[in-house]
Amino acid sequence: MDIFFILFALLTVVPAFLMVVTPNPVAGAVFLILSFIGMACLFVLLEAFFLAVLQILVYAGAIMVLFLFIIMLLDVREVEKLRPNTVTAAAAGVSLLLLVLGLIAVLAGDGLSGQLLSALPAVPDYPAADEPLGLAQKVKAYGYGLFTKYMLPFQLTGILLLIAMIGVIVLSKKRAAEEGAESAGADS
Amino acid sequence: MNLEAFQKIAASNLWGNLLPEIYLVALCLLLLVFEMVFRRQDLLLLFRVALWGQVLLLVLMGLSYFGGFPSGREELFGGLLVQTPLTETMRLFFLFGSLLVSYLGTRFLRARNLARTEFFAITLLVTAALMLLVQSNQFVLLFVALETVTVGFYVLVAYARTSGYSLEAGLKYLIMGALSSGLLLFGIVLLYGVAGSPDLAGAVGDPLHFPSLAQFIAAHPDNTLVLAGSLLVLSGIAFKVGAVPFQIWIPDVYQGAPTPVSAFLAVSSKAAGIIVLLTLVTGPFAALSGWTIPLISTVAVLTILYGNLTALPQRNVKRIMGLSGIAHAGYLLMGVVAAMTVDWAVGAIVFYLFTYLLASFGVFGVMALLSEGQDADQELDHYEDLAKRQPLLAAALTVGLASLAGIPPLGGFIGKLVLFIAAFQAGLYTLLAFSVVGVVLSIYYYFGWVREAVFRVWRSAEGAGSATPALPEPRSLTGLDRTALVGLSVLTLILGVAPFVLTWFLQL
Repeated sequence: MDIFFILFALLTVVPAFLMVVTPNPVAGAVFLILSFIGMACLFVLLEAFFLAVLQILVYAGAIMVLFLFIIMLLDVREVEKLRPNTVTAAAAGVSLLLLVLGLIAVLAGDGLSGQLLSALPAVPDYPAADEPLGLAQKVKAYGYGLFTKYMLPFQLTGILLLIAMIGVIVLSKKRAAEEGAESAGADS
Repeated sequence: MNLEAFQKIAASNLWGNLLPEIYLVALCLLLLVFEMVFRRQDLLLLFRVALWGQVLLLVLMGLSYFGGFPSGREELFGGLLVQTPLTETMRLFFLFGSLLVSYLGTRFLRARNLARTEFFAITLLVTAALMLLVQSNQFVLLFVALETVTVGFYVLVAYARTSGYSLEAGLKYLIMGALSSGLLLFGIVLLYGVAGSPDLAGAVGDPLHFPSLAQFIAAHPDNTLVLAGSLLVLSGIAFKVGAVPFQIWIPDVYQGAPTPVSAFLAVSSKAAGIIVLLTLVTGPFAALSGWTIPLISTVAVLTILYGNLTALPQRNVKRIMGLSGIAHAGYLLMGVVAAMTVDWAVGAIVFYLFTYLLASFGVFGVMALLSEGQDADQELDHYEDLAKRQPLLAAALTVGLASLAGIPPLGGFIGKLVLFIAAFQAGLYTLLAFSVVGVVLSIYYYFGWVREAVFRVWRSAEGAGSATPALPEPRSLTGLDRTALVGLSVLTLILGVAPFVLTWFLQL
């Protein structure tokens, strides 16, 4: 188990790093896909199969295709190298150092030793059967949870998407000039 | 699978208790359908449906209180939602705010060639989400509601897409908002992970549910992950409030956003942030008060000082409102700290929010009415001699600014007074001293503005006043404008002189 974890963790982290540093946007997108696949593998290790499938379908599939489309449409070949100024670079270095120190502190403390993590069973927070569920049953359990307990946030997500749709139209669509401007003065 | 448990949860999904939110969403859909049906955007109809629809909701909600204002605490939707007198009052607050934003929006959109219906549609949806946000009792709902609000604001801030200022503000708000949402989400995940871990004693079934989380945190107040998680969650909320380490976006966004949206951000968004913070520090994080009290107190002091000191040399009025808004967030943070030990401070906070709403919308209203053409670069000099040109606007501006500064007998004075008394009872003497200094500083820049507008200022020919391009004279005021401005001023005065309003609020 451990060797797989290290393998998949590397598969997640290394492409993510490469994505940030590569100057070629298409290569960056492909690295991001690789990173998503690594993350899906990590989900499989955690026996969250449904999440792994979703990760591949939604992120590695749909969203990344969209990204690639946009890159192709914009026809970006190379982005010029950004030269970060010294203050930014120093701040980033200090933040990284602090982050690493913080992680070490947490790991050394009571928090996240590897053993604790592996001992975590995948218990969903809504009532479920005691025995581990098969994939199909797990999806069903997600569905039950989504349509009973999480019905309200689920509906609210619909509203969020509606706002996003309206927003995209408002911000991108060109308005016919002066339409409705004549009637503007009429109101009181 | 345990179907009975699911059925029990489904039975607690009482949609009837969410009628105001459902009404707002339905009104939004109605507007969108109207726009499709009447191809020539009929302004009169759309504006009126948006405005009077909200007035109708306000009246309906008012009528429903004849059976008695809701009292007690009711958990709905399987614990996702909680309704208390406080959340009910905040619903009215947001509806009132949205009504005023819609009214300012009609003025703003009339002068510009921008899409019209969508402004009201998004305002209504954001308001519904704000209402859910203050009622949420679980992190999933809290996060979804907060994201709905934030995404709506991304669009609204960049709404005037022909203006470079607005687009810049939209981009800045998008990046800062995404960062803060990331912090908040990371914090939530840490809390979820640690509170749901079966290896720790007292792990709870639903670690995202506030009362369950409170139970867990009370058992493990020193756990590293609990500390990290709650700190990240508080940081995410502090971004929305505009408290000091996270205030950097405020001046630019307030200046660039269309004036109605600046007002919406300043009042409703900030109020929601404060109430969520209040819910968190008195609910799930109550056991952490050992470090949250000093932390939030320090943040409050820095926020008050930063807001007031940076507003002192400003000439751009929208930046003044933004920066002084930071200072107001600081006073409210002091109220939040006080509310952790003194119960009635919650009512003081809500009262302060109402006075802030009335005064801010008065000032923003005058700004919107004065800036028919340009929006982002209104300087103090443009207000010179306003009293002579537009006496009503100058009077409304003076009442609003004086209330913001906290001058008796206006509402702002009483609001600050009860907040300070609450802080005094909670024993926050240092914080109180800094607040008083802040208030004194704020009088300087608020009255600098009033002086420009009301008193004649002598200037040499090369003085600052002649250098700025003059704004076009505002259109004549309509009956609606007069009603709105006079109404806001009168309500500000009533909050200041009628003690029964205050008593009612302090019972919350």
